[in-house]
Amino acid sequence: MAASLAVFVAVASPARADQPQRVTITGEVIDSWCYLSEIMWATGSAHHQCAIWCARGGVLVGILGEDEQVYIVLRVEEDTDVIGNHGIMRIQTNEVVVEGDLYERDGIKYLAIDTIIDDHGIVNYSHEEFDVQPFGE
Amino acid sequence: MKKSSTGLIAALFAIAVFSFSHAVSAADSWGLPGEEEVRFDAKVTDVLCVLSGDCPPDCGGGKRVLGLLKEDGELVLPIKNGGPFTGATADLLPHCGKVITADGLFTVNYGVKTFAVQFIRPLKWGRTNAFVKQWAAERGLEAKNKKARRWFRNDETILVIVGEQGKLGLKDKGIEP
Repeated sequence: MAASLAVFVAVASPARADQPQRVTITGEVIDSWCYLSEIMWATGSAHHQCAIWCARGGVLVGILGEDEQVYIVLRVEEDTDVIGNHGIMRIQTNEVVVEGDLYERDGIKYLAIDTIIDDHGIVNYSHEEFDVQPFGE
Repeated sequence: MKKSSTGLIAALFAIAVFSFSHAVSAADSWGLPGEEEVRFDAKVTDVLCVLSGDCPPDCGGGKRVLGLLKEDGELVLPIKNGGPFTGATADLLPHCGKVITADGLFTVNYGVKTFAVQFIRPLKWGRTNAFVKQWAAERGLEAKNKKARRWFRNDETILVIVGEQGKLGLKDKGIEP
């Protein structure tokens, strides 16, 4: 009986790796490459200019959540054109609160944002310690 | 006998070519966390399409996040190419839906595994610097031109946004470096 129930549950609720989870995330809009590669200090105001460069150059934009997880942004509201997106460039480094669908695949968290609930602007004044990253200018 | 020797030599040659082309990575080390030099075959794919089923015909025309889907089902995320401050979308887009050989570096940090793609080979090997080439061509410049090599200091959109926000993004608060 238990076995039949298990089979029924498995059939009725097929495990789908790509089934999204509804989430609300607070975090900083970041340049994913500089942060994950640690090639420089890559958060806050110190890295703002570089984050704009990289977003314009097509490096993937992410959100560094308060949970210290990196979420790769796939969509912002109705806009799936996230590569080199001027609107996203303008909110680089800002702390935002977003709601959307979270997909996890091969250890990477992907975020399809439905709504930017709040935008706190830049709250991480990392330039006070790290100046302008990179090159100091 | 002669025929079988010829066949054996041909087979060994094919094995050698295959081994060289797939087992040896040409990637330059960048000293990244958890760095691994790799070469693998994968299909260029639109990540949102793979995950959600939202699939425009052309992988989004260079505006959506592209991934590399390996035959074993692993979705590799290329977040960097070989150029300065540039991603790999412009390199990968012409191969949307096709299998390529990619060569570069896996890096694992904060539990996240990503890929810096340095070379791709649809037909012959090429460095991944399509963004800069494209940027230069759009402005009638050679890719080796100084202005193109420092594209991030000369891009009109960047100049406008950084001009408005300041290098620290805090110009509206009167804070500048």
